[in-house]
Formats: sequence, C-alpha cells, structure tokens
Amino acid sequence: MMDAAPLKIAVPKGSLYADSVRLLTRAGLDTAGLEQPGRQLMVAAEGYRFFIVRPTDVPVFTALGGVDCAICGYDSLAEQGLELVELVDLSFGACRFVVAEPEDARNSAEATYQRRGVMRVATKYPAITQSYYDRIGVQVEVVKLHGNVELAPLSGLAERIVDITATGATLRENRLVVVDEVLASTARFVGNTASVRTDPRIRALAGSLAALVS
Amino acid sequence: MLPITPRGFKDVLPGEARWREAIVSATRATLSLWGYAPIETPTLEVLEVLEQGGELTSTPFRLFDTDNELLVLRPDVTLQVARMSASRLSREDLPLRLRYVERIYREEEGLKALSRQVTQIGIEAIGLAGAEADAEVVLLAAEVLGAAGLTNFTLALGTVGVLRELLALCEASGAVDHEWSRAMLRAFHAGNLVAINQLASAPSLAPRYAEVLRALPLINGKAEALARVDKLVAPLGIRDGLEQLRATWAIIEACGLAAQVTVDFSVVSAYDYYTGLVLEAYAPGLGKALGNGGRYDRMLEGFGISAPAAGFALSLETIMQALLNEDALQNRDAPGLVPAQPELRLVHIEDDDPAAAFIEAARLRAEGQAAVLGTGTGGQA
Repeated sequence: MMDAAPLKIAVPKGSLYADSVRLLTRAGLDTAGLEQPGRQLMVAAEGYRFFIVRPTDVPVFTALGGVDCAICGYDSLAEQGLELVELVDLSFGACRFVVAEPEDARNSAEATYQRRGVMRVATKYPAITQSYYDRIGVQVEVVKLHGNVELAPLSGLAERIVDITATGATLRENRLVVVDEVLASTARFVGNTASVRTDPRIRALAGSLAALVS
Repeated sequence: MLPITPRGFKDVLPGEARWREAIVSATRATLSLWGYAPIETPTLEVLEVLEQGGELTSTPFRLFDTDNELLVLRPDVTLQVARMSASRLSREDLPLRLRYVERIYREEEGLKALSRQVTQIGIEAIGLAGAEADAEVVLLAAEVLGAAGLTNFTLALGTVGVLRELLALCEASGAVDHEWSRAMLRAFHAGNLVAINQLASAPSLAPRYAEVLRALPLINGKAEALARVDKLVAPLGIRDGLEQLRATWAIIEACGLAAQVTVDFSVVSAYDYYTGLVLEAYAPGLGKALGNGGRYDRMLEGFGISAPAAGFALSLETIMQALLNEDALQNRDAPGLVPAQPELRLVHIEDDDPAAAFIEAARLRAEGQAAVLGTGTGGQA
C-alpha cells in the first residue's frame, strides 16, 4: 500500500544538478523530464516524482517528509544537522571548506586575535564555522552572509572567511589564500528515516547508486 | 507586545481539541482493555535525579526554583515512570502495566520552527521480561495506532544487543578503541551509512567485523531478515537479543500482524537506555517516526531497584498529521474519529423568572440533550 504512491526525489539545482541527473539516468530512472525542465520545478515520471530544489533546502524537504529521498551536498547536510539517513557517498561534486584570508594581510588576523581575543569570520555556513572554531579552541564572531563572502575581508568586515572552494579560482581572483582546511564535501544520497525504513525502493536505489559510484 | 505564544507552543482551539480528545479516549479504551492503569507524572523533575536512569538528549527548558534545585520540564516520561516505580512501588507490586498521556518538552536541532511541546500517549510494562512481553509492547503499539484511526503504518523492530556485542568484539580484538565504538554507535544512531562505511574501514579492523558492520544497517524485511542477521553474526558467536527477537516475531506473525511489522537493524534508538528490543512506528509522508519504544532492563537499577521494563510512546500530534495525510490520499473528508459537534438547544432566560430556564435546561441535559442558556439578546449561543 505504501509503495503505490510515486517515489518523491529531490534533485538539487545548481552545480550538482547535471551530475545528479546523469547518475539517476545511469541508475535506470526515467529522467527525460529533468533534461530541459525549463521553469518547471516538479517533473513526473513513471513511478517517480522529481522536485528541483535549492541545494540548501534539500535537507529540510527530506527531513520533514516533503520528499522521500534526495541527492544533497554534504555541506548542506553538515550545516543544518537535521535527522536524515545518509545512504551513499556519491563521490561527485567534491569541494572543500577552507579558511581563507587576504594575501596582503597574512597573519594580521592572528595578530588581531592575540590583542583582541576574538576573530571575526564571515561565512554562508555559520554552524560549520562555529563547530570548526569550537574544535580548535579559537573564539570567533561568526558573521552570516548570503553570498560573495570574499568581500568580507576585502572590505574589512571580517578578518577571515570560511567558504566552499572546488578549484580555488574565486579565492585567487580575490587575492585570498587558504589558511586551513575545515572539511571535505561530496554529494550524498539521503532519505528520511521513515521512508528509508518503510519503502524498499529507496534501498534498491541506494544499492544501484552505490554500485555505480564504487 | 503582540499577544503571541512562546516559540514552538500553541493554543488548542475547540475544533482541534475535540479531535484530540476523541483520539486520546479511543486509545485509552484500548489500553484499558489490555489491563494498563493510568498514571500521571509531574511536569518538572530534578535534573540530577532523572539522569540517574539514563542520558537525556534534549532538555530545552531548565530552571532553578527557590530551593536552588536545577529542574527540567520533562523531556521524556519513561525515565519518570522508572523513577516513580523504583521509589513508590515495591517488588510485590510487579508486574505493573501503566499508561499515560502527558506533554513532554523537546527541541529538535536545526528545526527551530517546530513544536517544542509533544503530547505522548505511552505505556510502560514494568517487571515483564521475555519475548512475550516484547510482543505485547509491539502488538499494543499497533492496536493503539489502529484505535487512533490509522490504517497505513509500519512498525520497525530491531535489537540493540547485536550491535553492542559486535562493537565489544571489535574493541576486544584490540584493533579499535572505545572512542571508535562510540563514533560507530553515533553513526548508527544518526543513520549515517557513509560514516559507518568509513569507520568500518579502520585499517587494523578484521574484515569479518567490518563486513558485518557494513551489512547490518542494510538488513530490512520479515522473517528472512532475521535469518540473514543470524547467518551474518552467528560465526562471530553473537547471540545477544536475536533469539528473543525471533520468538517475538513468531508471536507477532501468529497474531496476523506481520504485514505491518518489519525487522530493521538500522533501528538503534537515540536513547542509550535501551537494552534489547527497539521499536519505531512510521506512517507514509511524515519523514519522522510516529513514536518509538523498546526494552530498558537496566533503567530502574539507576533508581535503586532491579526490574525489567519495556514500553513505547507515540506522539499524538504526529498521529494527527498522519491521519490528515491518509485523508488526503484516500480522498476522505475527515477521519472517522472526529466527533460531530453536539447539537445545542438554546433555552431563553425570561426576565421575570430566570430560574425556570435553568430548570428546563437541566431537564433537557438529563435526557442527554446539550443545552445552553441565553437571554436571547446576543452574546450567548
């Protein structure tokens, strides 16, 4: 009875989208509707319903049962800390969380920290940032920004940033250098606990995806 | 200041309150038929006392009273019942079958917008051990969900014994330390299969352990799932809990409930107090569990007496959401349990003889007719 409804899958728009669709296709899903979705955010296929969701919204869609399962970057999972079943590391979409500071102000953050006892760090990921600094025992003021985080040290808003980088190109262009690694991220196949434990289709899909990426 | 309620708390107005009342009374009736007696627990507990029974995961509300005691708004009723049973009741009273409907106070990390108050419908079976007692808990959970009006739900069963024994073996082999075991247990709790795989790749860990750790959380099914686990762990000499789970399953199957129950070895409750059976209830489209339960044979020890115990707690609010989902799926207007609003008779109060209306209304009520008094000039209905 539970299996009668189409399986609801969230696919993240943006940088993970193309690889996600490719992988789902290789796993045998009918993803024709996802190739050119246009403005359509929900795509129906035989037995499935795909939802094209903002990457940072994927965890909440999944955790609250809006969708049964999803492809989601580890960065969004770690930032939101919601109760989800992380099923498969899909290996693609690799990026790193790094701490960076301006090239021409190397070590000035350290010097400020010595004097002021606190460092100001700008990021789109306040939870990851706070937990990193808690771990290394440095006191910080975390400033949450919604984009173009590189501007924070350039303008003097913050001494350092914590941000995602895949190639480091954006950091270099803005004359920022990496000071430390925070964590590495890849795309994951996730589901909510209820769906994973009650719907065998999710386990089957997790199995096919795991076989494809191993 | 705007007249708001605190974040995560809400008022219950008559439409919802009637429905809640109907569900609660239907479930109470079922529990009474199974011989469970009602209890009530205090809203506040002394934190230090409660922690003797087990670790508390979320206590968003803590306060000091004028005695300088650190108190918590109850985050969990099970620990309270353990404390109550250990301190107020003697061994001769056992076994005890207790039921409750209480509000608990919790916060889910990352979901600040959600309710911080949950109404739990729960039971505790104290002094009862063995597969029969475990089966009673499972069958009763299913009956309570049925009494609430749900038709489409799944109960997932596991046992914590297998994983605990496996982790102890891994540690004893000297390949990994206690820190690793704790990380592995956390990964199981979080349902993080990626982390389980990574931890199982610890270089010195024997492949026969790693293989079982990777396979265990993927096992889900009926009787064949039990056989698969047995085949997996028997060569390692792990028996803990499996025999009892098999016997529990046999009773459940014989009672015709196999269709609504699955065995799932990824079910490891977030609470560290469980010692055997673990149980989670799910309905489609909710994302999270309707409730959970299991066996906690050592919890009462923390409070000074030793007795086996098992139970479950289901969230009334989550059950209601599941019922609404079922209505939408089946194009049902409203669940059968929503009571019709009683038809009210309005009895006018006459200026010259107001008492007459009261007497007339009393006569109507004695016949079972709801009656309200009114002056007929507005305001009353």
